Amino acid sequence: MTSLPLISFDAVSVDFAGRTALRDVSIVLHQRRIGVIGSNGSGKSTFARMLNGLVSATSGTVRVHDLDAARQAKQLSRKVGFVFSNPDAQIVMPTVAEDVAFSLRGRGLSRTEVDDRVASTLQTYGMSDHADAPAHSLSGGQKQLLALCAILIGRPDLVVADEPTALLDAANTRRIGNHLLDDLEQQLVLVTHDLRLAARCDVVLRFDEGRLVESGDPTSVIERYEREHA
Amino acid sequence: MIAVYRPGSSLLHRMPAGLKVLGFMASALAITFTAGSVWTQPVAAVLVCAGYLVAGLGLREILRQVWAVRWVILIMLVTQFVFLPPVVASANTGRVVTIMVLAALITLTTRIPALLDATESSLAPLRRFGVNPAGVGLVLGMTITTIPVIAGFAATIREAQRARGVPVRITTFAVPLLVMSLKHSDDLADALTARGAG
Ligand SMILES: Nc1ncnc2c1ncn2[C@@H]1O[C@H](COP(=O)(O)OP(=O)(O)O)[C@@H](O)[C@H]1O
Ligand SMILES: [Mg+2]
Repeated sequence: MTSLPLISFDAVSVDFAGRTALRDVSIVLHQRRIGVIGSNGSGKSTFARMLNGLVSATSGTVRVHDLDAARQAKQLSRKVGFVFSNPDAQIVMPTVAEDVAFSLRGRGLSRTEVDDRVASTLQTYGMSDHADAPAHSLSGGQKQLLALCAILIGRPDLVVADEPTALLDAANTRRIGNHLLDDLEQQLVLVTHDLRLAARCDVVLRFDEGRLVESGDPTSVIERYEREHA
Repeated sequence: MIAVYRPGSSLLHRMPAGLKVLGFMASALAITFTAGSVWTQPVAAVLVCAGYLVAGLGLREILRQVWAVRWVILIMLVTQFVFLPPVVASANTGRVVTIMVLAALITLTTRIPALLDATESSLAPLRRFGVNPAGVGLVLGMTITTIPVIAGFAATIREAQRARGVPVRITTFAVPLLVMSLKHSDDLADALTARGAG
């Protein structure tokens, strides 16, 4: 476990036009599965989006796997796979296979190499039958699986998922949750309102009004959160 | 509105994407520049039908493609009838429809990544004029992907308004559609950046 690379935040604050989204966050993370919880507007997404350079710090430094998030945002976006909540807004190309293949563009791979990797990735996630289906015709759960395929085919070092199951039913939540929590080898940051998924992480962070108010053992962090919001 | 790849093994499916793109461009130019001739439209129509038959798509598919762009056709006809003699207006519209049906034949028989590569290499000479071929290809692919999503928004808004008894008016319809579409394009931009295309 300790061999996993580090994520470190050092006195990080983020302001959006006068609104403070994150206040003075400092933490070092080396666990494989990192859960992030907190109320709406508490800064979870801002925290997650810093990990791939979508948001940069107003002050302080963020380092992700030996990269400086502010200065090496381009390299970072290649190393980090990001799953959003809205499945529709992640699909870029018309069919399932085309969308997954899109992630490999510009990597100098041959056509057959791309096709092989697409086929095996779809196979792994049980999506082979949908390879040539128009992506928009899939169900919500299948679209999130597609988003996952599209990210994992790029072999990222870190997967960040921002409420990936927010729009899914119970069965698909479990399915996507299992893929993320059980099947991945790489480090995972999972932002979620589903406390059952958070409980399966190795460490849980809780945000409140932009502050990192707690981090540690999932059971105790979640218990206190539930008590305070009862 | 824009056709999505249909797997197949016809001659057209197997033809290199670049050749198809060039063929399409040449045909579109030919149709445009021979507009004066009475032969243009019949010849083009026969060739398009032949193309759909060779691709194994059948002639019904042409009707489906025309039906898919019926609003575009209507708008073109109406606006042109105001300014032009009816014969010219119909001929112009006929030409544009033929070109659209031909474009659909290309997207129906070509995988988008192949199409993007082909478009990018055929646009490469324009690089010196400041055109970014990769950008053009990406926009093309994303347009095809986004159209059904926007159509879905439109359907959602119509349903929600019907449920609340809101009369169908262009303003009550266009504003929420614009808001949803802008939100979508924001999200899509994030996803693109996250996927390394930004
Ligand atoms: N792009 C932005 N522009 C302005 N304010 C933003 C932006 N993104 C987030 N915020 C604000 O920052 C705060 C934290 O938001 P966010 O990180 O999205 O919280 P969460 O994901 O926990 O709901 C909120 O008050 C939100 O309104
Ligand atoms: Mg959020």
